[in-house]
Amino acid sequence: MKSVALYLTAIVLGVVLGFGSAWMVLSNGKLLGQFEHDHWFGNEDAGSTAADPYTRGIIAKIGLLALNRSETIYFHRYVDDHDEPLREQCVYELSGVALPTRWWSITVYAGDDYLPVNGDAAFSVDASQIQTQADGQWSTRVAADRAGAANWISTRNAGEFNLALRMYNPDERAREDASSIPYPKIRRVSCSEAVS
Amino acid sequence: MKASVKFLSVLLPVAVVTHLGTVFAAPYVLMDAAMDRISRHGKIVNQWSHPGRTSEKSRNVVRPSPDLAYSACVYDLKDGPVHVTVAAWDDYMSVSMFQHNSDNFFVINDRQAPEGVDLMLIERGAAHPAGARLVVESPSRRGIILQRRVAPTQERFDLAAAARQGDVCTTTSSKQLQ
Repeated sequence: MKSVALYLTAIVLGVVLGFGSAWMVLSNGKLLGQFEHDHWFGNEDAGSTAADPYTRGIIAKIGLLALNRSETIYFHRYVDDHDEPLREQCVYELSGVALPTRWWSITVYAGDDYLPVNGDAAFSVDASQIQTQADGQWSTRVAADRAGAANWISTRNAGEFNLALRMYNPDERAREDASSIPYPKIRRVSCSEAVS
Repeated sequence: MKASVKFLSVLLPVAVVTHLGTVFAAPYVLMDAAMDRISRHGKIVNQWSHPGRTSEKSRNVVRPSPDLAYSACVYDLKDGPVHVTVAAWDDYMSVSMFQHNSDNFFVINDRQAPEGVDLMLIERGAAHPAGARLVVESPSRRGIILQRRVAPTQERFDLAAAARQGDVCTTTSSKQLQ
């Protein structure tokens, strides 16, 4: 009787451990980091029929219905230029130049991988709407309030958030050599409380 | 054998098998959940559904882009081929297909189809329908077809919504090709 209880406990614990560890892995977008440049990371096999089971599982969990690399390249960013998690309590400056692709966008997602619920309707910037300088450079305020900025991504109610960079119909060089892409920079301007 | 050894000799294999089983099964389970939501619990199958503009209330699929107008069709090839048409768009537009394990097995965009998309979707290995301009073979019987149109403003979204009204995603078992 004692042995039966022992085995049953081991089975239950094994199932809990196995399922829990798998779900933690599948929920961790950072593990997709097959390549990383300037803290933006991506995976060449995202959406591909050649994806390994872990890549396929993570994409299904955090990016279901992602297009394969022949059509779109996706990058994700979870940290600022100090390697600290992106947080709604901080103000960031996101800046860059024209990207080597037909169309691009950068979108904020809350920790649950959906758009933050804040009523601001300022979830993204994209190539067709962003206001640029004469030399093609652009910058965007990433913060909980607009504070008069021309370009703004609202992080209100986003908690610890992340950004997704989508590049549709990327140029051949960008597709073949992700290190050639002039990735947008993210500079932490200030935080309303000390960053631990 | 010590009790702790017996305990671990059961726990570890069970944990490993459960872990790997979960990783392998997750894409199928998550696709099933997405298909269930998009098809409104199976009521809208082989038919385009055209949701409104993406907002913070959009929760059918993770990480939606607010700059794209999406339309989705949950397909089921049990009754034969599915005819898919998508109207042309004057900016980036694509039609992509995802099999049951979530892999993106087909995509075509507006550059490749400047006059719009017109294709027949069949199950892999099935006979190709006569008269079809483009035939795509699905590795699985069920899956999701998704169209994306760049539409970052309300004005552009309204135009996209008008453009897609005549789009078709329907089984051809009771309908001959035009």
